[in-house]
Order: sequence, then structure tokens, then C-alpha cells
Amino acid sequence: MRRARTPLLGVAGAVAAVVLWALAARTWGSTALAGPGETLTAMTGLLRHGDFWSAIGTTLLMAGRGLLGAALLGSVAGMLVGSSTLLSNAVLVPLEFLKPIPPIVLLPIAILVLGPTQVMGEALVFYGCLLPILYTTANGVRETDPVAVQTARSFGLGRWQVLLRVTLPSTSASIGTAVRIAVPHAFAIAVLAGYLGGSPGLGREIADSVVSADTARLFGVVVVLALLGLLVHEVSHLAERRVLHWHPTYRVRAA
Amino acid sequence: MNPGSALTAVGADEGTTDRAGGWTAPPALESRRTPVLEVRAVSKQYGSGRNAVRVLEGLDLRVDAGEVVSLVGPSGISKTTLLKTIAGLQAPTEGEVVVTGRPVAGPPREMALVFQDYGRSLMPWLTVAKNVRMPLRHLDLGKDETARRCSEALTAVGLEDADRKYPWQLSGGMQQRVAIARALAYRPEILVMDEPFASVDAQTRFELEDLTLALRRQFDMTILIVTHDIDEAVYLGDRVVVLGGRPASVSRVLTVDLPRDRHQDTTRADERFVALRTEVLHLIQAPGRSSSPAGVQAPGRDA
Amino acid sequence: MTATATATATRRPAPALSPATRWLARVLVPAALVVAWWFGSAGSTSPYYPPLAEIVTRFRELWLFEQVRSDVVPTLVVLFSGLLIGVALGVVGGLGLARMPTVRATVMPLITFYRALPGIALIPVLVQLFGYGDGVRVGMVVLVALPPTLIATMDGVLGLDATLSDVVRAYGLPRSERLLGVYLPVAGPQVFAGVQVSMQFAFIAAIAVEMVGSTRGIGYQTLLAQQTFASADMWAGVLLLGVVGFGSSAVVRLVRNRLLRWYDGAQAVSRAA
Repeated sequence: MRRARTPLLGVAGAVAAVVLWALAARTWGSTALAGPGETLTAMTGLLRHGDFWSAIGTTLLMAGRGLLGAALLGSVAGMLVGSSTLLSNAVLVPLEFLKPIPPIVLLPIAILVLGPTQVMGEALVFYGCLLPILYTTANGVRETDPVAVQTARSFGLGRWQVLLRVTLPSTSASIGTAVRIAVPHAFAIAVLAGYLGGSPGLGREIADSVVSADTARLFGVVVVLALLGLLVHEVSHLAERRVLHWHPTYRVRAA
Repeated sequence: MNPGSALTAVGADEGTTDRAGGWTAPPALESRRTPVLEVRAVSKQYGSGRNAVRVLEGLDLRVDAGEVVSLVGPSGISKTTLLKTIAGLQAPTEGEVVVTGRPVAGPPREMALVFQDYGRSLMPWLTVAKNVRMPLRHLDLGKDETARRCSEALTAVGLEDADRKYPWQLSGGMQQRVAIARALAYRPEILVMDEPFASVDAQTRFELEDLTLALRRQFDMTILIVTHDIDEAVYLGDRVVVLGGRPASVSRVLTVDLPRDRHQDTTRADERFVALRTEVLHLIQAPGRSSSPAGVQAPGRDA
Repeated sequence: MTATATATATRRPAPALSPATRWLARVLVPAALVVAWWFGSAGSTSPYYPPLAEIVTRFRELWLFEQVRSDVVPTLVVLFSGLLIGVALGVVGGLGLARMPTVRATVMPLITFYRALPGIALIPVLVQLFGYGDGVRVGMVVLVALPPTLIATMDGVLGLDATLSDVVRAYGLPRSERLLGVYLPVAGPQVFAGVQVSMQFAFIAAIAVEMVGSTRGIGYQTLLAQQTFASADMWAGVLLLGVVGFGSSAVVRLVRNRLLRWYDGAQAVSRAA
């Protein structure tokens, strides 16, 4: 995405938006719409409470653990599927059916079986991130440079060794990208599990704010969520670049 | 639009042939030697102050009606810049470009362009016929006339059966023919071609060169062709304008006194052809000396 | 991707499976899974995992075609009208942002902020402002479907090839023709990539709004079944949701394949070259 050419314009836009927000709040009345000032107050209030920080931590933990599981299983399964035509064909139909089915569809079952718990949230995150990582990894395997593979084979490396020493490093960029893309998904699913399913964390904070009809608090949590989302996004980009700086894709991209 | 050129086929039996085999235009055509394109003392500079890069300096150029002028020079930014300035896609820093007597302030309607990279200048979501038709839609010609021109243009380049195909289904040479047909249907006063055959293989290049000459004869066209291929420049042109120097200007203008009727096999082996292309080669390789009064030229590190 | 001096194909040619084996793998495996589920759950008394046979029965009773009008249609209407509006706005907005750098610079930080927000969090905000009506539901879907298409369209048009831009100017095409006839088609592949993501988000949003504040819809009924421990009904609802998700994705893909036939064709040609 092209960066804004003039940062000043961007700032002006942001300021204008806040002003519009304040005006809208005044027109609508503070029971329905909290203005920027009240939201800020609510936010600082929340951030002073240890409970809120613990909710943030829980959400991040749910997202992180679910994503970790999905990354592990997804990359291993993806490598197997990508390197075996038979396996590819075998899992094709089930995966194609599951691909367009987001975790929210399974939410009722998850609530029923696991209850409104942290584990339920992790399970949903796991499911939601597994398939994209698997698919991307499998594609990455298929796009491994055939010359590199043949060279390794000609040196007498067996099938598993080729997989480990040639395919895996080459595919790691795809895996890295897939995981990075999955991070905001993981975060969103964790919040969803809380808001609709009752899992602990920021999602539940939202639900609680609605129940207590505290509009300012609701807006405060929403803004915190947005900021957290931005942070998470930036960190995952940085992490990907750091970990995979050696990979040709990154060298090419920097040129 | 040049009314006189509306599809009057100019046969090779008009005009006179002298002893040396040179063909002279019949008197009626001679009197039409008015400049279609004039480049007057054009200079172009990128950036300003300390970072300024002067690419073109005091360039003069002229293309008369019915001529083919080849513009040749070393690879680099100067040919592209000059072309964009002539085409009205860029404004010159100094000087002006005049097309059929009117100064150019933007892409002139009397000019049609054929680009080197046909893959990126043809629209892949349109069929060949629709690609050819596209520029015509704004000339308000009416459906029948538009259709007629398109089929005529496609037939002239030999692609009458390909009208329903997509460009990417055709070979490179055929795609370039589509681009030529598109320019043809537009009926420009002057056709400007930017290294049009550089992206095709040698065989196809010869075919397309001959196609260009045939079309020129058939439709009495005025063509400015920019190329880095010296042989092509001499083969196609009535005159060859050699660019050189840094900043670039016109080194020399050579008249190609070969018969107008050219053939890949005989013409290229002709003594005079060889002499001409050698002279062009030397002009390009040697440090450029401008024929226009632009002062001292820095010796060019021409390739 | 590393450039290889040798073969232009960067995909390893898959060792060919005989068509019979391929068919077997693709059909047999899913069939085997279903059969395993059927017989595995046959005598189940678990409240969580009723027998597949019972699920199928309830599916038939509820959704074929008893509750189609009362629940399926509302869900689909909200989903597709929200998607269409969101995509239309996204395309127009993306075109505008691409061609107006000043506006783009001003608005981009806001868009980035908006995208960082999990869409779910918008639901309570909207509900606070506007209540629980049908319009709110559609509005919610529009709000989540808009950004992916907007950004994709903008990127697609921004990435316009310089040659094409020269051609368009050289032939003097008027602005409307330039935008709609050239820039938009060229960005087509990217626009549709965005639309496919918009579809996924729209689907999630459509279900989510039902689960939050609605009295009808597939999502609502399924959640209700879970809350009242009607397991088989819940599973049936989940299955239907899966079908709707799969179907709506397929619809978008079909539309894309039809409109972008030229692009897929050109890609195939250049890959084979």
C-alpha cells in the first residue's frame, strides 16, 4: 500500500474525523454515542485497572496459543500435502468445503462442548488459522525451485532429507507470510469468541459494556481494540522481516 | 485528417524512375511537401538547480508529408524523452513541437502512436477488433464508418480473421500488427513508432518492416520511426536523423538515396545501403557534434 | 520468488496420478469420512454429538423447506445486499482514492485505523446508535465488506502500467472512458481478490449480527438451538451455514471467472510460454 505522501494531510484528516465525531456525539446525545473526550476518559480509567490489562493479556494469549497450534499443524500438514499428489487429491474436497466456513459457524458447537472458556476461544482461533496456513504452505512447497530439489537428489539425499533441507527452508517464507497474515485473524477470532461466546478477554469486556449500557466504556474498549490491532499488525510485520531476512524474497523486495 | 491520403493507393507505377533506380514522386505529390511535424529547438531538462539533468538540447527535426523518417541514436533516455515530447505526453523545457501547423499542448489528434511493448499497450480484456476500435469511438464517426475502418485496417495488416481473438492469443508479431492496425484505423496525419520491432524476433522484424513499407505505399502515410537498429533505420527511412551527444541533439541528417522499392534480400546487400549504415554507425559511435547552433557539446559516451 | 536461469516453470510438475486414482482419492475420502461419521455416531446418546442420522432428519424437517422463507431468505438478503452495496462503494471509493492523491493522503490513516479494528466490535456500536432493525444488519455487512474491496481496487488502479496510461492519453480518451473502460478492467483481477475477501467478511458479519440481536435468520436459529440444548437442530443449523458459506463463495468465484476470463486466459498463455 502506497504511503501517504504528505503526513500533514493525514494528520489533518485524523483531526477532522475527531472533530466530526465530537459534533456527532453532541447531536446524538451521550447515551447513544460517546464523544472523543468521554471515550478518552473511559479509556484511561480502564487502563488503570489491572483487570483490564489481564483481559488484554487473555485475549492475546488465546490468539497466540491458537495461532501457534495452527502454525505447527498447518505447516507440517501443508508440507505433507504439498509434496504428495495423492494426499493433495485426498484432502481436496474436505478442505475446499471447509475453506469458506469461518469459525463463527462452529461457535455454537464450541460453546456447547467447551463452554464459555479460554480453551473454547483457543480452539476457534486454531480452527480459523489452520486452513489458510495449510493452503499457503502447500502452495509454497509446490513452488519450490525444482532445480534445487533435483540438485539435492543428485547428491543422494533421500526424500525426507530433501523435504527437510531444501523444501522447508524454501517454503519458510510462505509459512512466515501465512502466519503473519493469520495474526489479525487470530486476534479478531479471539475477540469474537469473547463477545458472542462469553470467553474471557476483551470480547467479554465489550459484551459487559453493552449489558451495563455504559456507552463511554464501550467506545473506550473499541478504541483500545483498534490500537491493539494496529500494534499487533506492526509487530507481526517486523517479526516476519526479522526472522526471514535471509530469504531471497525479502532481498528482492528491498531492491 | 489529411483528405488527400484517404485510402488512395499509391501505385509503384506512378512517378518516374531514374537511371540509378531512384524513384521520384510525381509532380502532384512533390507539391505536398509540407511539414507535418516540426520540432523546433526543443530542449528538455529533468529536475532543477544542482540536480538538473539536461537530456535534450536545441533539437530540430522535421517530417514532411509522405515521408518516412528514421530517428536513430544510442540507447538511453534521450530517444524516449524526445518521443514523449513529440507525442505531447511531456512538455519540452524549451522550444516547441508543431504538428500540421499547430503547436502541441497535449497528445495531438493528428498523431497516432505505436509502442514497443505491445503486450502492455493493447488491452487484454478486449478482442482484437475492440482494441482497434477503441480510439475511434471518440471521433464520432458513426457505427458503420467505424466498422468499415476497423475491418479495413485489420485486412491491411493481414489479420482479418483474428478480429474475435484476444491479443494474448496471438504471437508477438501479430500483436504488434494489431497495434499498427489500431493506429491505421485512426487515420493519423503522422504515425509515430517507438522502437516498434525491438520486441520481436529477427524474422518477424523483417516481415513487420516490409508491412510498414507496404502500408506506407498503400495509404501514403507519413511515418516517424524511432529505432536503435541502424539497419532498420536505413532500410525503412527516406531520411535518417542521427541523435547524439549528451545532452542529445541532432548529429546529422542523412538522405537515403536508395530506390523506394526496398527488399530485405537485395537492398540490404546493396553497396549504397552498406555505405549509409556504416556512416550512421560511425556517427553514433563517435562523439556527437550537433548540426544545430547549440554551442559546445560534451563528447558523448555513446555505446 | 527466486529467478531461475533454466526452466521457466516454477512449479514442480506433479507426478501424474492416473485419473482413476485421482477420482478415487477425491471422492472416496470424503465419502469415507461421512460414512465413518454416520456409523460412528449411530448409537450416540451424548448431548453434544447426536447421531448423524438424527441431524439429517432435523435438517430435512427444519430447512427443507419449512423455514426457508422465515430464516434462510432474511439471512441471504442481508448478506447479499450488504455485500453488493459494500463492494460498489469500495470500487467507486478505490477508483477515487487512486486518482486523487490529496484525498488519499488525507484519508489513509483513518482507513488504516478502521481496518485494524476487529469488525465484530462495530456491532455493539451500531446497535447503540441505530437499534436492531434490518437496515442496521445490512449496514453492518456493508461496513465490513467495504474495506477489502476499497483497498484492493485502489492498489489495482495505482499499479497501472505506465505504457497503458500513455496509450490512453495518446488516444485522447475522455475521463469517464479512461476510468471505467481502462483503469477498472486493468485492476479487475485485484478488485476481485478484494471482493472475495469482502465476501468472507460479509458472511461472518451477517451471521454475527443475527446472533447478537435478531429474531430470525439461520444464525439466530442455530444459536437458539444451542442455548436450548437442541443439539441435532444446532448441528443441522451449522451444516446449513456451512452450505451457505460454501455456496456464496462459489457464486463470487463464478462471477469472477466469467468476468475475468480474459485475465485467466492471458495468465495461462504467459505461464506456458
